[in-house]
Amino acid sequence: MGQQRTRRWAAALAACSIALGVAACGDEEEEAPGAGASTPAATSTTPPEKFAADTTMGKLQKKGEITIGVKYDVPPFGFKNPSTGDIEGFDIDFGKAVADALGVKPKYIEAISDNRIPFITDGTADLILSTMTINEERVKEINFTDPYFIAKGRILQKKGGDIGGVEDLAGKRVCTALGSTYEETLKKEAPKAKLRLVDSYSECLELVQNGGVDAVSTDDVILTGMIIQDDSLELVEGEELTTEPYGGGLKKGDTEFTEFLNGVLEKYESDGRWKAAYQKWLGQYTGEKAEPPTQTLEDVVPAA
Amino acid sequence: MINVLTDNLDDFASGLWVTTRLVAGSFVVALVLGTLVAALRVSASGALRRVGTVYVEIFRNVPLLVLLFIAFPGVLRGGVDISPWTSGIIALGVYTSAYVAEVLRSGVAAVSTGQLEAGLSLGFTPVSVLRRIVLPQAFRTVIGPLGSITIAMIKNSAIVGASIVALPDILKEARIVNSNTFQTTEAFFWAAACYLLLTVTLTFVFRGLESRYAIRR
Repeated sequence: MGQQRTRRWAAALAACSIALGVAACGDEEEEAPGAGASTPAATSTTPPEKFAADTTMGKLQKKGEITIGVKYDVPPFGFKNPSTGDIEGFDIDFGKAVADALGVKPKYIEAISDNRIPFITDGTADLILSTMTINEERVKEINFTDPYFIAKGRILQKKGGDIGGVEDLAGKRVCTALGSTYEETLKKEAPKAKLRLVDSYSECLELVQNGGVDAVSTDDVILTGMIIQDDSLELVEGEELTTEPYGGGLKKGDTEFTEFLNGVLEKYESDGRWKAAYQKWLGQYTGEKAEPPTQTLEDVVPAA
Repeated sequence: MINVLTDNLDDFASGLWVTTRLVAGSFVVALVLGTLVAALRVSASGALRRVGTVYVEIFRNVPLLVLLFIAFPGVLRGGVDISPWTSGIIALGVYTSAYVAEVLRSGVAAVSTGQLEAGLSLGFTPVSVLRRIVLPQAFRTVIGPLGSITIAMIKNSAIVGASIVALPDILKEARIVNSNTFQTTEAFFWAAACYLLLTVTLTFVFRGLESRYAIRR
């Protein structure tokens, strides 16, 4: 996987800097870890609000840093740029918007599907932005922001594979990440499939490339990221398995911080930054346009 | 606490069964390969001894996780359709065999040269001296150390499940239970209990073997 991936993303980034010019891609340089406390960028006009010291926002401002758990191997949402070593992606851009709104420096740590909720409960991370689907079980453990992205459950296979839909997964070896919602979805929708539960989607990519599994099932955007890296793979056409609204995760019961994050998200979606990020990380590869999600947390999980 | 075990008994039981089969398979591989390599290590030919040394040094000094990557995605990339089970058993078995070989070699070295010379002077061939006189005694001395290696192998088997080979062993099942219930402490407590069940049982088996066969000196 290594080389092909390196080349593709290097090429993608080069294309990005040429096609969109310095202004659009300039953001990426500012995200570099260790770039110092980022001043509120040109994107936000108002200086960060000062929060009371006993709120999470106030504590983060005092610390001057917010720890955000993101994926390191899920392009285009959170991945390590092989040429610079920086963490980049759609989730990282939103994380930066949150940090800017607080006037603090974002610190990104790797949160895989299996450990991201413990990271929140034990305080390792202040915020999780790692392609995390909002669902009823998780709402019991942590607080969620409103959905900042809506993904759809799909299946990926090698081009020319014989899977035509979820019903063809019976007897097939299917890879997904341990701790993701697909573990349960697949057990329900394709009980006869042989599930391979690995730690990360990069392992699924490796296995589907070399024939260790027949298919990978997860969010369409993650699968698209795999196809960007290896065009000998394809999405299986047909009905989506599920709808997966991504939410930011934070400590259970921290209403003030939730409201603050929803405010940041609302502004991020209304002032065009969301669309710019979509175009930068997804639109330019898929040719599709998208509107920011309008659903709220209550629309997704009525009980929350 | 107990309800996490009773509610997910199927998961823990299937994990225990997977780990048991994995460890049993790897133990056979380790014992067979380890004995062969130990024979190389004590052979009269310098070239064969060197082959044995190279084998032991390679497989003892490469991390198990790396061996697993070679044995599964590596072999698949080479165009050989290998199953996770075969990969896992071979990698864990080969890794452990290097330790088994070392222990057996030390066991052979502990058999006094007088025995060897006596065998040879009675007309045994060098191979049958090894097979009929030296190895049976060597195995007795090494029952204890072999037990330690087997227990280490049981614990190492968790790496097979956590790696890209992803066999649904005890640890993996515990992590699945954890991701479904969010009862982290309980899920891993019961995983530890499952591993203890295997290792403690084995400790008793080896202790029994030892008191039955060990040579008292």
